[in-house]
Amino acid sequence: MSGSGVTTARRRLIERARGRVPATTARAAALLGAVLSLASTFLAWSYGSAFPGNLTIYGYPGGAQVYVLVLALVAIVLLLLEVSPLRRVLAPGGAGGAVRVLASGVFLVTAFTVLAIGVELGGLINVEWGGWAALLAAAVFVVAGRLLPDDRPAVWSYRLPDWVEFLIIALVLGLALAAFVEALAIPEWEIFLCFLVALGGALTAAWRLGLVSWISEVGTRHRGVTVTAAFLVAAAFPFTQGSDNHWLNVMVNVGIFATTAIGLNIVVGLAGLLDLGYVAFLGVGAYVGALLSGAAASTIGWNPPFAVTVVIGAVITAIVGVLIGTPTLRVRGDYLAIVTLGFGEIFRITVNNLDGSTGPQVTNGPNGIPGIPDLKFLGIDFGQSHTVFGMNLGYFANYFFLELVLMAFVILVFSRMNNSRLGRAWLAIREDEVAAQAAGINTFRLKLLAFALGATLAGMAGTIQAHAISSITPDSYQFLNSAFLVAAVVLGGMGTVTGALLGSVVLLLLPEKFRFFQDNKLLIFGVTLVLVMRFRPEGVIANKRRKAEFHEEEISEELGREARAEGAR
Amino acid sequence: MLTQFVQQLANGVVLGAMYALIALGYTMVYGIIQLINFAHGEIFMIGAFGAFTVYRYILPDGTSLWIALPLMLLGGMIAAVAVAVAMERFAYRPLRNAPRLAPLITAIGVSIALQEAVRLYYPDARSKLAFPQLITGSPIPIGFGASVDRASVVVVLVSVICMVALTLFVRRSRMGRAMQATAQDPDTARLMGINIDRVIVMSFLLGAALAAVAGMAQGLYLGQIDFRMGFIAGLKAFTAAVLGGIGNIQGAVVGGFALGIVEVMAVQYIPGQFGGGAWKDVWAFALLILVLVFRPQGLLGERVADRA
Amino acid sequence: MTATVGDTPHKPVLRVSGVTMRFGGLTAVDGVDFTVGEQEIVGLIGPNGAGKTTFFNCLTGMYVPTAGQVIYRGTPLSGRPDLVTKAGVARTFQNIRLFPNMTVVENVKVGRHCRTTVGALSALVRGPKYRREERETEAQARELLDFVGLADAADDLARNLPYGDQRRLEIARALASDPGLLLLDEPTAGMNPLETAQTKDLVFKIRDRGLAVVVIEHDMRFIFTLCDRVAVLVQGRKLIEGSPAQVQHDERVIAAYIGTPAGSEQQA
Repeated sequence: MSGSGVTTARRRLIERARGRVPATTARAAALLGAVLSLASTFLAWSYGSAFPGNLTIYGYPGGAQVYVLVLALVAIVLLLLEVSPLRRVLAPGGAGGAVRVLASGVFLVTAFTVLAIGVELGGLINVEWGGWAALLAAAVFVVAGRLLPDDRPAVWSYRLPDWVEFLIIALVLGLALAAFVEALAIPEWEIFLCFLVALGGALTAAWRLGLVSWISEVGTRHRGVTVTAAFLVAAAFPFTQGSDNHWLNVMVNVGIFATTAIGLNIVVGLAGLLDLGYVAFLGVGAYVGALLSGAAASTIGWNPPFAVTVVIGAVITAIVGVLIGTPTLRVRGDYLAIVTLGFGEIFRITVNNLDGSTGPQVTNGPNGIPGIPDLKFLGIDFGQSHTVFGMNLGYFANYFFLELVLMAFVILVFSRMNNSRLGRAWLAIREDEVAAQAAGINTFRLKLLAFALGATLAGMAGTIQAHAISSITPDSYQFLNSAFLVAAVVLGGMGTVTGALLGSVVLLLLPEKFRFFQDNKLLIFGVTLVLVMRFRPEGVIANKRRKAEFHEEEISEELGREARAEGAR
Repeated sequence: MLTQFVQQLANGVVLGAMYALIALGYTMVYGIIQLINFAHGEIFMIGAFGAFTVYRYILPDGTSLWIALPLMLLGGMIAAVAVAVAMERFAYRPLRNAPRLAPLITAIGVSIALQEAVRLYYPDARSKLAFPQLITGSPIPIGFGASVDRASVVVVLVSVICMVALTLFVRRSRMGRAMQATAQDPDTARLMGINIDRVIVMSFLLGAALAAVAGMAQGLYLGQIDFRMGFIAGLKAFTAAVLGGIGNIQGAVVGGFALGIVEVMAVQYIPGQFGGGAWKDVWAFALLILVLVFRPQGLLGERVADRA
Repeated sequence: MTATVGDTPHKPVLRVSGVTMRFGGLTAVDGVDFTVGEQEIVGLIGPNGAGKTTFFNCLTGMYVPTAGQVIYRGTPLSGRPDLVTKAGVARTFQNIRLFPNMTVVENVKVGRHCRTTVGALSALVRGPKYRREERETEAQARELLDFVGLADAADDLARNLPYGDQRRLEIARALASDPGLLLLDEPTAGMNPLETAQTKDLVFKIRDRGLAVVVIEHDMRFIFTLCDRVAVLVQGRKLIEGSPAQVQHDERVIAAYIGTPAGSEQQA
């Protein structure tokens, strides 16, 4: 209550100040702030060279200074654009909002860097005058930005020739890859954080300009082209890493996780069934893959071709899915979550126990199955590095490509199901199960289909996972991993492919980058889940309908309360 | 044979008493706002740590048993209640009108965060902590050659006292009746002038206090506590609540004891490799599934007519 | 009850015999016999709490009756709503139950679900069957929207429709399952006189499509001008059944609604 009061008071203050300062003056002040900020990046900010990016050099921006420079440069261009004749075309709603966001970005990055220099080098005494000047410039920029006139919501509705739009799609995706690779390459967490802030600022600014919605419009207009291009860009990733396996290895894990998350999104996002034991299906697939891999530790001697293993893995997980789903899907929705959780635990305990002493010897119990050999599939030895297009790629690239193919398949399943009568039926069940059944939908059968389909896809991912990580233990399939999968789906956005992808990338890559927080990782994870449910329950990339579902309840609840109050009167 | 059976029965009752205490918290909250408070197991864990904290940091060495036990229990209850009430206020209350998925996911988040907070910030909590074995003395014979140790007797006695007190509270007190009314029909209860928020907080509070009793009981019974103890215990207690008929207070008690006894008996009497402690959780969950399939309303629950 | 020529002029579509529904000690519906003929519009009236909706729920598989049988075109209906719909008996709800976050046309398409058969595999490869079926579903849904007069709102979200249109959409969704019998639960509740008149026309049009219709309603004028035959339920029992004129003037009905002259416990 009081928080919003303060916000309103602040808002009123800004409004009043805005009324007094003419737009031209504000614009000039903002321009000055931006130019000064840009200039400050050529100064030295720190006396000590130990701070990441070495900010002791004059005339050559380094580390986080580069981000300040870029943001300030964009702001200058926008400010000049606003007074140029091009304004009507490129910033129809005005650029004030975008500049304001950029200014905030500049300020945050600068202030964080100055502060971090102080903390890490032992006192603010280590900040050179350039650093303070930069902070001052950024402050001027932010204040001037606040005074800029409000802009109208911008609508870009340009329709360019197809080939130009194709180029734009390619350019945007290419930039995304470049930004991604750049981000991975940043070794220091301080600079990485600044990068994220700068990126967020740039994206928000673009959104304010109306650029983001226009590009997504262009993307939907040429959906086929966009999807193909996205896969091509993803496939280009290994070529940015050369023979270095580190990030490729991480991305293979991200890919498996993301594929599983998209599969889970069929169950959770489309059919509305909260499955808290989903990782068990990945586990079933992985154990099938491991047992049929010919590993020395495997208790099954048979080593069929990989294609057969995948099919067997898929069939077995489908059967397990049906066996688990049949009793549980008849019960009320929120019981389902706990029952699937129970089943997930049963899987883990069972695999732990099938070690020859507390049960028949199948899985080696807690020791798991180590030494799973690399795949040999389609005549390719996945353990060798190969030269593709004249470039020698690390051997994890093999798994990366295979994983990409599986992910494409899972995405295909997701979207095709969603756009069929089955998808409509799932949505109907989510909306009103009683009405759906009365409309002639066999709700149980459709829920079971979603459940088993999700299980099957996870099982397929599992067979690849076993080979890619080469050693599996029951603990890789504990509840926490199911929670991670659910979180990826929920944080990214229920019911969307991009949401699940984004959620997976964020959940798996951020901890890699912020090793600093490694110990607190789970604590942060738990708190984040709570906060997201509180403030943005539909996730970052919201499915339009999901969003309506999450906010409709508030609306209808209010209406209901009014109606009830009236009825009581 | 008979000795063994009676012995296991006694063990099952002790285990069941703890399940029942935790299950009561699930069932009360569920009965009133239809929320599966998945983080309730963590409240149980916090209760145990609260009691342990009193012993470790506050009580001077050599405090008499009769002073130490109540104080530890009080400490556990304060910790558990504080966390539970804060959790209700800041995590669940804002979501009361959200789709059901939202509070469930919040509950997972709360659960993980609480476990991690204890692991990271409670001194030495990264590994198991030895809980003081305060109740000593020779086991008490209960006939047929079986006997139970004194800690178990205390656990069962305290549990039964708590359950009776709770039943009396819900049946007799003004707040208890308000809770029953809210469980039946929150809208009408609101119109009758019942403060729903207070009723909900009360259900969390009572549940947390009982969970703290269970937490301390487990500490005394097993002689150790750790930050993970709430996860499985919470799942089992939920199973007990469903077994008895979720939302039903007597059901939670019956379900708790039933689950405790079934679990102990399964460990004892299932022959071959699938017997023994390694599989006990599997049997407990299998029981949950069976109940859901064949009697989803639970042992004591009534089938609610669909208001179509 | 046997279907004599006298009270059912057409071949029976629905034959209900001795349906009883008990909840614990309460008997909500008590041995009701009921017949609906081909293309007949039958009204079901009764004071509040007479068991009309419970009776409906017994017909549509929401409840499994404690006793009695429901036979649609010679086959007994089983106690599952989706199977009942599939057999050819569709319904609407007293409190409208649409899929609020789906578009109007999607709502109707959901009604087609049980008449389409494309499975997961066919949807995945988008084979010719999938395409044909989707095309047909789309065409039929649009035709039905046109029929109920919602063609212009086809792509709006269902929850943004005005109240009267939501009722009509629910009817369109029910019609999408190609029923032979349509059960309407208070279709004019909350409507103004104009909308009520439109609904009446719509019901006649539905009958002209070859359907039989059963209507639960409180609005007597609506019922008596719409129906070929009216049955009155009081306290779970069928009090009387006959032409609107017969029912309208029956003393027992008047007593059930207004109370017996002696002053009594039954009220409207």
